[in-house]
Amino acid sequence: MIEILLIPVITAAVCYMLKNYRLISYVSLTGAVTLTGFSMPVIFSSMSSPHEIMGGMLYTDALSGYIMALVIFLGLVSAIYSIGYLEHELKVGLTDIAGMRRYYALLHLFIFTMLLVTVANNLALMWIAVEATTIVSAVLIGFGFRKRALAIEAAWKYIILCTVGITFALLGTFITYYASTAVMGTEGALNWTELKEIAAKLNPSTMKLAFIFVLVGYGTKAGLAPVHNWLPDAHSQAPSPISALLSGILLNTAFYGIMRFVSIVEPSTGEFFTGNLLIIFGLISIGISSVFILVQDNYKRLLAYSSIEHMGIISLGVGIGGPVGIYGALLHILNHALSKPLMFFASGKIQAHYGSTRIENVNGVLSSMPLLGTLTFIGALSLAGTPPFNIFLSEFTILKAGVDKGLWLVVGLFLLFVIIVFYGILSGFGKMLFGTATGLKSESAEEQSVKGAETFKLPNVLTNTTMIVMALSIIALGFKVPDFIDSTIKTCINVLGIR
Amino acid sequence: MKNWIQVFSIIDFISVGILLTAIAMNALRRLESCVRAYMFNSWLLSFLIAIVAFMIGEAHLYMASIVTFLSKGIVIPLFLRKIVKQMKVTHDVEPYISNALSLTISGILVAVVYVSLREGIFVTGFSRNVLQISTAVILIGLFIMISRRKAITQVIGLLFMENGLFLAGFSLTFGMPIIIELGVLFDMLMGVIILGIFAIQIKRAFTSSDLDKLTILKG
Repeated sequence: MIEILLIPVITAAVCYMLKNYRLISYVSLTGAVTLTGFSMPVIFSSMSSPHEIMGGMLYTDALSGYIMALVIFLGLVSAIYSIGYLEHELKVGLTDIAGMRRYYALLHLFIFTMLLVTVANNLALMWIAVEATTIVSAVLIGFGFRKRALAIEAAWKYIILCTVGITFALLGTFITYYASTAVMGTEGALNWTELKEIAAKLNPSTMKLAFIFVLVGYGTKAGLAPVHNWLPDAHSQAPSPISALLSGILLNTAFYGIMRFVSIVEPSTGEFFTGNLLIIFGLISIGISSVFILVQDNYKRLLAYSSIEHMGIISLGVGIGGPVGIYGALLHILNHALSKPLMFFASGKIQAHYGSTRIENVNGVLSSMPLLGTLTFIGALSLAGTPPFNIFLSEFTILKAGVDKGLWLVVGLFLLFVIIVFYGILSGFGKMLFGTATGLKSESAEEQSVKGAETFKLPNVLTNTTMIVMALSIIALGFKVPDFIDSTIKTCINVLGIR
Repeated sequence: MKNWIQVFSIIDFISVGILLTAIAMNALRRLESCVRAYMFNSWLLSFLIAIVAFMIGEAHLYMASIVTFLSKGIVIPLFLRKIVKQMKVTHDVEPYISNALSLTISGILVAVVYVSLREGIFVTGFSRNVLQISTAVILIGLFIMISRRKAITQVIGLLFMENGLFLAGFSLTFGMPIIIELGVLFDMLMGVIILGIFAIQIKRAFTSSDLDKLTILKG
């Protein structure tokens, strides 16, 4: 298990030392592929039975394996996408070799910190890892590959808000430790595995206090409204592959922390306390983001608000609870982690092509770039929750869980907001996709032939293949959840102790 | 010696000192004094940990005390002072509200904390006052963050919050395992360094160290 933590660190160090830009990108890719290879056995063995190493500090079970698989998958696709993306930025003079070294080193460190979150058994170690993700990703946003005023503004807001927020999560962790000392006598417990066993004996009012602090803290990081203000700025100013990682998985690693806490807090306080809080935060997030999606004129910010909406839906699923609700939430994590990065990748390409992130400046993507347009179209339909795409399936599962429990008000509000989001996303991207392409630079025949030759270069082929694979899995997951994913999620539900 | 500490309630004195250095932030006009206030606050925090370590005879608390002193009491203040010099800012804090109002609000915060935490969770606490004081320090830190204009004052407010948090954690549980304390301190140190670098970049990019200028991204 320790090797999958070491590989990203080594890759980061090597990337930082190299001086040739092509070499750096392929070393980074090799690192990501090696990581994927080495993580396979760890993930598969964690599915069947939990493992502990380093005296119980690190631990994997099905849930951490599930999130870990997503981190590694998205790390791989971002490493692939970064090659073409950075080569383009280098060519148009937006970055230099120093920027690229910094970018790739930080990218792999970022993957390392997220992996550390998933394997941490000790709740305080998990806090340290979550805070480390904030620091590394803030540097990535601010200095990614070049220094821009707006990116620094976004990074400043991000690091200040998330650090303040997450300070409260540390207080919550302290209070949990305190509650455990009361049960265990002299030495308290912070390991999730130990806390899980004594969870029913913990003092309910102390745990309620702890959970509120943890929810506010990790909720800030997970982008739950009303503490989401950093998210649209950070996501829209980050380089596209980093936006994909932030949105696709970073939010989920923070939410993973909340899920771990829910399963410790619930046995003593009863499920109504945690459930109601999560439902309220979830509905506020969906509601606020739906309004902002409707009036948004910048497509990267639109995608960022859509992330808030989807985190709200996941929170709602966990809040409604029961096997069906949790199943829907975990499936939604996977679906969102496929659709949103695809959209950020596509928007990076659109931005490179049109030189603007405003919706009104982009027209006729489908006619000028048929492949990219189609992929964007699939992603947009999926994000809006159109049947028969994957996100519809998980939203429907959560809806069903709500109906089963008879939470009619929650279901009604959820449906209303989702309809607003549906209209907002499809009208926004509809304006970009259809119509005739205007505002493009007219290209001479020579430039066009250069462009034609580039289409078949390796980075471009790799990027396009990845995006096509992601789009195909979005469609496939919309029809049926494959058996291995189904059984994995069911094991996760068992791990969380939901009956 | 142990009797002395109890008879003269040394622990209460130190924690009140921690509260006073936090409240003093409201009245200070110069950025250098703010950094100094933070430095005293951290010294008092590490001294408090050392006293408690002596009272209950825990070796790992001595370690925690020394590490706190070195990182928060020496490295971070020196780094902040360097940043203040490098930014060549006007040295004035320029709060949004007057000092008198700011002090009043801090006083109200302390009163609210004392009233609302009168009954709650106290079992392992070695002094009844420490938890209230630490919560008050967290809130004052937060208040300083939102009521000051300079980037550096936001960082200092955050640091006060974290000192308050350490004190709270300490009063609840007699400190975490040492490896965890080190990890948290390492994260904090990294965070402060990054924030310092960002503050300099903000100064360069916006030709001002006021955060009022950071309003381009919204909606």
